Amino acid sequence: MKEIIGLFAQYLSQYFKTRFAYRADFLGEMVSNLVSELINLVFILVVFQHVPFLNEWNRDEIIFIYGFFLVPYALFSMFFSFWDFNERYIIKGEMDRILTRPLHNLAQVCLESIAPDRIFGVITGLIIMGYAAVRLKLDFAWYDLPIFIGLVLSSALIYGGVYTAIAAISFFSDSRTGIAPMIYNIQNYGRYPVDVYNKLIRFVLTWILPFAFVGVYPAAYLLGKKTLYGYAMLTPLMGIVFFGIGLAIWNWGVNKYQGAGS
Amino acid sequence: MIKIQNLQKEFRIHQARSGLAGAFRDLFRREYKTVKAVDDVSFEVAEGEIFALIGENGAGKSTTIKMMTGILTPSGGEMQINGYVPYKQREEYVRSIGVVFGQRSQLWWDLSPLESFRLLRSVYKVDELQGQRWLERLIEELDIGSFVSQPVRKLSLGQRMRCEIAASLIHKPKLLFLDEPTVGLDVLVKQKIREFLRNLNETENMTILLTTHDVSDIEALCKRVLVMDKGKLIFDGQLHDLKETWGNGTEVVFQFKQRTTIEQLQAALAELPCELLRENEYAIRVRIVQNHEMLPYVLSTVMTAFEVSDVKIMETSTEEIVRNIYSAPVEVSHYG
Repeated sequence: MKEIIGLFAQYLSQYFKTRFAYRADFLGEMVSNLVSELINLVFILVVFQHVPFLNEWNRDEIIFIYGFFLVPYALFSMFFSFWDFNERYIIKGEMDRILTRPLHNLAQVCLESIAPDRIFGVITGLIIMGYAAVRLKLDFAWYDLPIFIGLVLSSALIYGGVYTAIAAISFFSDSRTGIAPMIYNIQNYGRYPVDVYNKLIRFVLTWILPFAFVGVYPAAYLLGKKTLYGYAMLTPLMGIVFFGIGLAIWNWGVNKYQGAGS
Repeated sequence: MIKIQNLQKEFRIHQARSGLAGAFRDLFRREYKTVKAVDDVSFEVAEGEIFALIGENGAGKSTTIKMMTGILTPSGGEMQINGYVPYKQREEYVRSIGVVFGQRSQLWWDLSPLESFRLLRSVYKVDELQGQRWLERLIEELDIGSFVSQPVRKLSLGQRMRCEIAASLIHKPKLLFLDEPTVGLDVLVKQKIREFLRNLNETENMTILLTTHDVSDIEALCKRVLVMDKGKLIFDGQLHDLKETWGNGTEVVFQFKQRTTIEQLQAALAELPCELLRENEYAIRVRIVQNHEMLPYVLSTVMTAFEVSDVKIMETSTEEIVRNIYSAPVEVSHYG
């Protein structure tokens, strides 16, 4: 694990080196990233101006949840951005090269497709949370910061686990499976308070595809919603469990790949 | 070093039925056909050998290499390389091997090879100081110093290929796999790469396995050749044995200063088992069947007896041999 973190720093510095190689391109992308995040921000604030209360949640709380959701989501999409996994690694056979290197193959795939520019999402998320927190006059204790970080990391792990499991489908199917649309579709559900959904969907979002744990539940802790504290505290456990499941499916897929080849 | 016994690899291939109705039936019940890509292959390789694995497309070369590099799990047989079972102890095993897939790059497209080397060095956890010295040697011997800090996308194929080889050797492996390393390269670059590989083999006692379609690679590098066909190993032995068994012998064309008849030449060559063919009035083609040591004898005999203006020696190229093998019915033969 320490090894992977060390390598991560190296890959990151290489990434920036390649980006700096195209100076104009880099600056342009940076500006466009900032602008798009800004538009996103304005859009969210405007849209939520028109949202009335949803069950027991007021508007600013919903904005806060959305802001929280953006933070783990940005982290997740920075590390797990192998949208083209099937195309690049399975069909083009890059997986062969990965398998001839002495590092866990998932770590290699993550590192190779790392997208550090997604980090801007964290900033947007923090701004939105800050805005909502001020309007809600929320008080935070010093220990809320480490808890916040822990919750964010756990949420990112949940996403990572589900994503990894879905990407691993490529190992089993010999057709071009588009994993990207699947992810795009389900990732949206975590952004809103689960109470707005019916019981069944709520159950699914809590225990099957636990996207409630990337938005509502952990944000509920910061919002001081005592009734949901239990769920909030479950977040790290869910993160570890779901990432573990994702990893297990991935490893199973790699074994299968080794058996079948391309 | 390398020990392979009864290695097998079967693939289950989905047989698609034809037509829409067939496709619909495929949804429910699929028919599979089992294909033996590698069928009962056994061989052993000692440390420090350079050997080539040749065969037509689809002969099972790539599958064999993929099993040997730990990418694929064999469906049967035993395999031990560098003291590891590749598919079982993959992450430990791959530290001891280097792999170059000619068609695939291990360098980062936008980075300079030097940066890629550095990254790979930390992937392989190479000792800083020793690694640096080794890298300097690689750069010098492959003669890549002048462009090693340019981005890969700006390099020519020949330059890139040499960098690929350096990248695969960054951790000083004991065994190097080269899968068609010289495809599309010009003669000079090929030569450089061959020289480098030979040197590496001599100084580091590195074992090198080559698959190639380019027969001149084999002639320049390998003593031992393995030939695969339809998943089976059909020849395992020395290159010159291969030539003797499958070659058409050597041909020499003599250009004489005076008109010479076949009978005159036949008389001079006496009992030597040669076939004589008339090229034109002044030239005769002598076909020496198989035996190599006869060539100097034939040459000196003819040169002393006649006035010769030109001699052309035409050995059966390995290419022809390979063609002969491919077109011949499968027959397993083991030499040396």
